[in-house]
Amino acid sequence: MYLYLPIALTSINILIPVGLGLAVGLLSGLFGVGGGFLLTPLLIMFGIPSTVAAATDSNQIVAASTSGTYAHWRVGNVDFKMGLYLLVGGFAGGIVGVQAIKLLHAMGNADFVIKITYILMLGIVGVYMFIESLQSMRKKKDGAAEEAKEEKESAMGRFLHSLPLQTRFEKSGITHSVFVPIVLGGFVGILAAIMGVGGGFLMVPIMVYLLRMPMHVVVGTSLFQILFTCIEVTFLQAYTNHSVDFLLAVLLLVGSTVGAQIGTVFGRKLKAEQLKILLAGIVLAVTVKIVFEVTLTPALLLSQVGGH
Amino acid sequence: MKNQFKIQNAKFKFQTEVRKMRVMAALILTFAFCIFQFAFAGTAQAMLTAIANHDHITIDFFYHGSTVSVRGISDPGVDLVIKITSPEGHQVMKQKGKIAGVLWMNVGQLKFEQTPNFYEVFSTKKVEDILSVEEREKYVIGYPALAKHVDITPVANEEEKTKWFDEFVKFKEGSKVYTTSFGKIDTKLNAEGSQDYYILTDWPYQAQPGDYLVSVYAVKDNKVIEQAQAKVNVEQVGMVKTLATMAQNSPAIYGFLSIGVALGAGVGVSMVFRKGGGSH
Repeated sequence: MYLYLPIALTSINILIPVGLGLAVGLLSGLFGVGGGFLLTPLLIMFGIPSTVAAATDSNQIVAASTSGTYAHWRVGNVDFKMGLYLLVGGFAGGIVGVQAIKLLHAMGNADFVIKITYILMLGIVGVYMFIESLQSMRKKKDGAAEEAKEEKESAMGRFLHSLPLQTRFEKSGITHSVFVPIVLGGFVGILAAIMGVGGGFLMVPIMVYLLRMPMHVVVGTSLFQILFTCIEVTFLQAYTNHSVDFLLAVLLLVGSTVGAQIGTVFGRKLKAEQLKILLAGIVLAVTVKIVFEVTLTPALLLSQVGGH
Repeated sequence: MKNQFKIQNAKFKFQTEVRKMRVMAALILTFAFCIFQFAFAGTAQAMLTAIANHDHITIDFFYHGSTVSVRGISDPGVDLVIKITSPEGHQVMKQKGKIAGVLWMNVGQLKFEQTPNFYEVFSTKKVEDILSVEEREKYVIGYPALAKHVDITPVANEEEKTKWFDEFVKFKEGSKVYTTSFGKIDTKLNAEGSQDYYILTDWPYQAQPGDYLVSVYAVKDNKVIEQAQAKVNVEQVGMVKTLATMAQNSPAIYGFLSIGVALGAGVGVSMVFRKGGGSH
């Protein structure tokens, strides 16, 4: 059955957005990522104009992350205190990132910087997560401990603990200076604004490897932070660009809210290393896709203005 | 007295004869004019008509495109060209190019002016075979004529303009809003000796709401000898129109509504799963 989308000005088989929403909601519930880096290009592929795809994606992430945050909160996997500090940093970083992208546009090389940032960030994060989770899985199998890494971690830990305004994050069972999540949140906010995504796939590895939060709390807390970021983005897109397609968002969220719940259930059945290696695999697949995109001759040399 | 009566009678007879002759002359002239018209019917402003059967297309939630048929009457033996276009405007497109000879990136923007968003041309034969270059350019019929009509900036030379126009057409054809074809117009002679023509074409759902102009050209000896026009209006109705208008005119309310529904759906589905024990 086809439905006409009033803002995208196109007609779509309802099974497509519902199916895409389900798949991305599943990833959201499993890994704590919004899934915008996957969904936006897929919607464009199915004929949705890029500006509408990006804006509507944010709207459906509000639904998926509400569903995911609620499910994780009920099982005690959301660190609200950490989420709020990350959010403060993320908002500030977003403002800096938007100014940076304006400057890059004025200089005329914004697209180059965005694409290279995408490839580097996704590539580094994907490779690091993949290798690290593979090593942890092997170590657990062998029952061996790696001394050198322990020493390196404690050196990093000593630096972080030397910072002022230390505070205890009970839910995560860690102690950090309030500046650590604010600065890291700000860093993700800058990159997210430059890359035009929510930043969940960057936030998750940062919480796991730099903040040393337990994986299951990371997923719930990341979703909590994404929820607020996407509320802000949805409103700004609707208000300034008039590009949120309400009907498309409803079709997507029908799938994504259910997918997020299923993802949360599956996530609890998987071990932290398994979750990390799966996310790393997806991040690497997206990296390879973008590398192909920029190296192979495109079928069309013109595209609509707007979007990514 | 008798003679006077005779003279008057003769005068009256003479005047009646003159009147008869005048009527005869008028009839002969009219007849001659008709014969003249008939003999040169091929070049006359005869009878081209155009009717679009589906001239008001409404877009509701279940709209997935439509069909439009154009029919009419033309002189016998002429070729026909039917052009359906949206009003001309300007369109800005992102332009991809190679950076450092390796990486494909967006390298700038191109502005296409005097360009319709929708352009369809149907003809009885290939337009290149039935119309001269000058006539095609005059009536903007066919891609080469449209290419000459459109302004593209910034481009360095004609070669570059042709390259980017071809890319533009490729993009538009991919979106189903540009097409040219021949041989799809049915023609047949009717009982009055005129030619009936008819075409049924798919109307793509990608065509945006607005007014479209259907121009029909009768073509003979490489020239357009007559033209007729009809209109097609595409309009959003019902909830589709309400949502589109709200997004444009009340963006804050629309934004809050979108967020509210998303939050509600997220919580609602969570409740359903909680009741069903899905999250435990």
